[in-house]
Amino acid sequence: MLVGIDVGGTFTDGVLYGNGRILESVKTPTEDDNLQETIITVLDDLLRGRKGEDIRRLVLSTTLVTNLLAAGQGDEVALILIPGPGLNLRQLQFFPQAHIIKGATDFHGRITEALDGEEVRELGQKIVAAGIEKVAVVGKFSQRNQRQEGQVEEILLARHPHLKVVKGFGVAGELNFPRRAVTTYYTAMTQDAWGEFAASIKRALVQRGITSPIDILKADGGTMPLEASLNSPCETIFSGPAASVMGALALTMDEQTAVVVDMGGTTTDLALILQGKPLHASRGAMLGGYYSHVRSLALRSLPLGGDSAVRWTGEEISLGPDRLGPAACFGGPVATPTDAVNFLAGGHLGPLSLSQEALARVAHPAGLKTETLAQDLVGQVIEVLKDSIKEMFKSWEEEPAYRIWEIVNKQRVKAQRLVGIGAAAQAFVPILAKEVGCPAFVDHYSPVANALGAAVSRPTLSLQVHADTRQGSYYLSLDGIVGRCKGDLQLADVKDLARKHLRQLAAQRGIGQYADRSEVFLAEQFNMVRGWSTTGKLFDVGIKIAPGVIDDYKGV
Amino acid sequence: MVNTFQTRDKELEKGLKERTGLVFFPAFDWAISPTHPEREERLLYTRDQIFEEGIMDLPQIRQYQPRLAQAKDIARVHFCVPHIESQATLAHRIAAGGALVLADALMKGEIKNGFALVRPPGHHAMRVVHGNRGFCNINNEPVMVEYLRQRYGLRRIAIIDTDVHHGDGTQDIYWHDPDVLFISFHQDGRTLYPGSGFGNEIGGPLAQGTTLNVPLPPGTTDEGILFVVDNLVLPVLEEFQPELVVNSAGQDNHYSDPLANMSFSARGYAKLNEKLAPDLAVLEGGYSIEAALPYVNMGIIMALAGLDYSLLQEPDYKPEYSREAPGRLEKIRVMVEGLREVFSHREKLVEEARRRLGPLAQRRRQIYYDTDQIREEQLETLRVCEDCPGYLTIKSIARGPGGRNRVYCVSIPIQACPRCQREGREKYQGAIRKSSRAYDHIYLQDRVADEYGQYNHSTGDISLG
Repeated sequence: MLVGIDVGGTFTDGVLYGNGRILESVKTPTEDDNLQETIITVLDDLLRGRKGEDIRRLVLSTTLVTNLLAAGQGDEVALILIPGPGLNLRQLQFFPQAHIIKGATDFHGRITEALDGEEVRELGQKIVAAGIEKVAVVGKFSQRNQRQEGQVEEILLARHPHLKVVKGFGVAGELNFPRRAVTTYYTAMTQDAWGEFAASIKRALVQRGITSPIDILKADGGTMPLEASLNSPCETIFSGPAASVMGALALTMDEQTAVVVDMGGTTTDLALILQGKPLHASRGAMLGGYYSHVRSLALRSLPLGGDSAVRWTGEEISLGPDRLGPAACFGGPVATPTDAVNFLAGGHLGPLSLSQEALARVAHPAGLKTETLAQDLVGQVIEVLKDSIKEMFKSWEEEPAYRIWEIVNKQRVKAQRLVGIGAAAQAFVPILAKEVGCPAFVDHYSPVANALGAAVSRPTLSLQVHADTRQGSYYLSLDGIVGRCKGDLQLADVKDLARKHLRQLAAQRGIGQYADRSEVFLAEQFNMVRGWSTTGKLFDVGIKIAPGVIDDYKGV
Repeated sequence: MVNTFQTRDKELEKGLKERTGLVFFPAFDWAISPTHPEREERLLYTRDQIFEEGIMDLPQIRQYQPRLAQAKDIARVHFCVPHIESQATLAHRIAAGGALVLADALMKGEIKNGFALVRPPGHHAMRVVHGNRGFCNINNEPVMVEYLRQRYGLRRIAIIDTDVHHGDGTQDIYWHDPDVLFISFHQDGRTLYPGSGFGNEIGGPLAQGTTLNVPLPPGTTDEGILFVVDNLVLPVLEEFQPELVVNSAGQDNHYSDPLANMSFSARGYAKLNEKLAPDLAVLEGGYSIEAALPYVNMGIIMALAGLDYSLLQEPDYKPEYSREAPGRLEKIRVMVEGLREVFSHREKLVEEARRRLGPLAQRRRQIYYDTDQIREEQLETLRVCEDCPGYLTIKSIARGPGGRNRVYCVSIPIQACPRCQREGREKYQGAIRKSSRAYDHIYLQDRVADEYGQYNHSTGDISLG
């Protein structure tokens, strides 16, 4: 049996999956200040009358880190930046509290300005005097040479061994220094809180006789083992929308191009699945208002849901963005877009009279016919969703490309299907699909698709290798791994190197069985020509285990 | 009615207009040859630098994807021999298309200015193109300018060529156009390719003074170049009042460039762009791919986006690189004064030329294509018209490794009067009718009608687009 639990902002969903079907599903309000309590409640409900040891896998998607970031909780962190020449971070108001120190490394990893040891020592004293114990240190091009980040750590720890230093290179090795700084900072900030949470969940599960692997859903639609998550808590953010997209994939189980419309009470999330693969955002997830290196799915969130409150303000009719309760036809206090659909379709969702009365209470003072109001409301919701879908495709098509073949081979894509997820999908997605011009898919499991998606998502792992034969070295974008390479390295060798490291890292994370599913997504090489002769080669190879469902899941 | 579903989009849209548009097309799969300066690696470290800086994440920047320039976009500017496909490869069409994307974005008000960081470059490509000259086949800025004129009705445009090499291709294309101000400052042609761009090259007889050349002594620094900007470029622009300013943005004035000998810095480039405030900039040359380009490109982007560039600096920069020798500055001052004189008398110069000349003005030239080793002989004939800049006919014979090509071209400018347009078209038709063996190809460029024709003598095919 598999368990998937998706902690959402309002509700927490859980499913128990086994023998090719969903055995149980649970929905309960989320208690923001006691997430583990909520999770355990859902788990106990799912397991009622069953044995904990029969669980083979448990996957959690939680909002813990999201909440920490939103509330600015977590540990206080001193951010030390080594930007060298370039953008003026102060003028950009980039982490106004950051400590900017001397030192610089260039794109080849050459140190072009030395650190000032005295400056670092003084800074260390200041940090300790302020009672701060966590330090994030991040250098521009630190992935090309880790020395200066390491020196800062050494200097700080020599005087203050109790400090905990998180280095940028170990957190994210892809190009983009500000995103590395953001990711490193928030990693340092949330690591302990996440660790405590993970430990308490683990204890609770052991008490219930559950010894199965515990996996955490990430923003990219894949999972990671609980142990691996301790080093990268930020990967857990935005896993809720990822759960829904993976749920859509789990319900459809084919390679069509689809738009996932996750329509809840107050918001709607849109995502794209291109030929069976969820589309990732080209920039990393936003953390605290900044882009980060956290890979996430390309999502568009609209402040509009099936229960968005409809009101007459005295001057105009307003829609949302808040929710006062369920739709009137389900016993709620005010008219909602769901009531509009229900009214127009003659009460196929709930009692017609309830929707009609609620709508009339808004329509009459506005001088409208109830029917006109209902039509306007539905029309407007559909219009907004349709435009957003169009924009999503457009922005995917407009992703920058850096090679001739990419531009020449760029294809326009069209949705083959709309997959409706969430409580309000049943009401709106069929109408929306008609407008977009493709079939709608709304399964009876759609309301718990997110929890199902969590339960059956497979692990993902993505890394890049950058090799420089002139320097005879390479580094990985993950875990701060570096190595030596030969001068006659070829692209095929670098791909092998990437595969080897992926296998090792997958094995260390306990997801070794998925290593052979990896695919190379980036393979480029450049000759370094100095004067008129080639003096070396540069390689960039990216390899990943892409999101998908686990092997033993065959659909419901 | 129900209309209060507010999204933040409106607010965002307002903010977008303050953005700088950026097309980054490094053509990582294109090279003239594996070890040529114009090779895959050229913008690799620029990519590393601008990606690592994260500048494209800033709200001040909006990145665009280039598109393919159409054959017609190219025919508006060039006579490609034997045909467009042979001269404009996919890479050229994407580089030019990158500039067009930004032109559209600017005119739609999506951006306040833009930088097409594209390769291959173009400013040595002339009106007639038999092959590659100075790493260029297709001239990106004129393709963009003529597109803007046709599509959006712009007329008066200024192109400031800041590459270290004289922008002889762009100069050739606008030699007879009084509505396009072309100013090139560059290392003295006696010491550098292409060996032209002297102070006395001031435009064709009916467009005198709207071409200005400033040949700078080798070693000129930030101080010298910014002196030219302050004392020539900016005052001339102020008087010319163009609707659009284009920076033909080469980066080989940099002190580390291996193919030239100037002493300009990354911060100097930033300052230049801040002062010039071009609406659109298009990358041209620059071959110091490690020591200059990553920093110069950052500098240009920062200046256009209004970001502080005072912390930008090459790792090996020394302040003395920027200080001008007094003797050199004096030479530059004299040159600048002479050129301002030329510019302020331009109308008189044109008037005199009209009086002096008969109905036709001719220019005979030899053009060398260094990359492709082609020698071209050209006879250009301008119809001296009272009412417009006049139409142009060009007889051109090129000999090179690929054999011999003889072409006859008619170019009718966008300002042409009805008579010149009619006469020009008659010349084209007449040449086809005669169909003598004198020409392999006959071309028509009618910018008034936005029509471009070509006749192939060996096949007898006529195309009109």
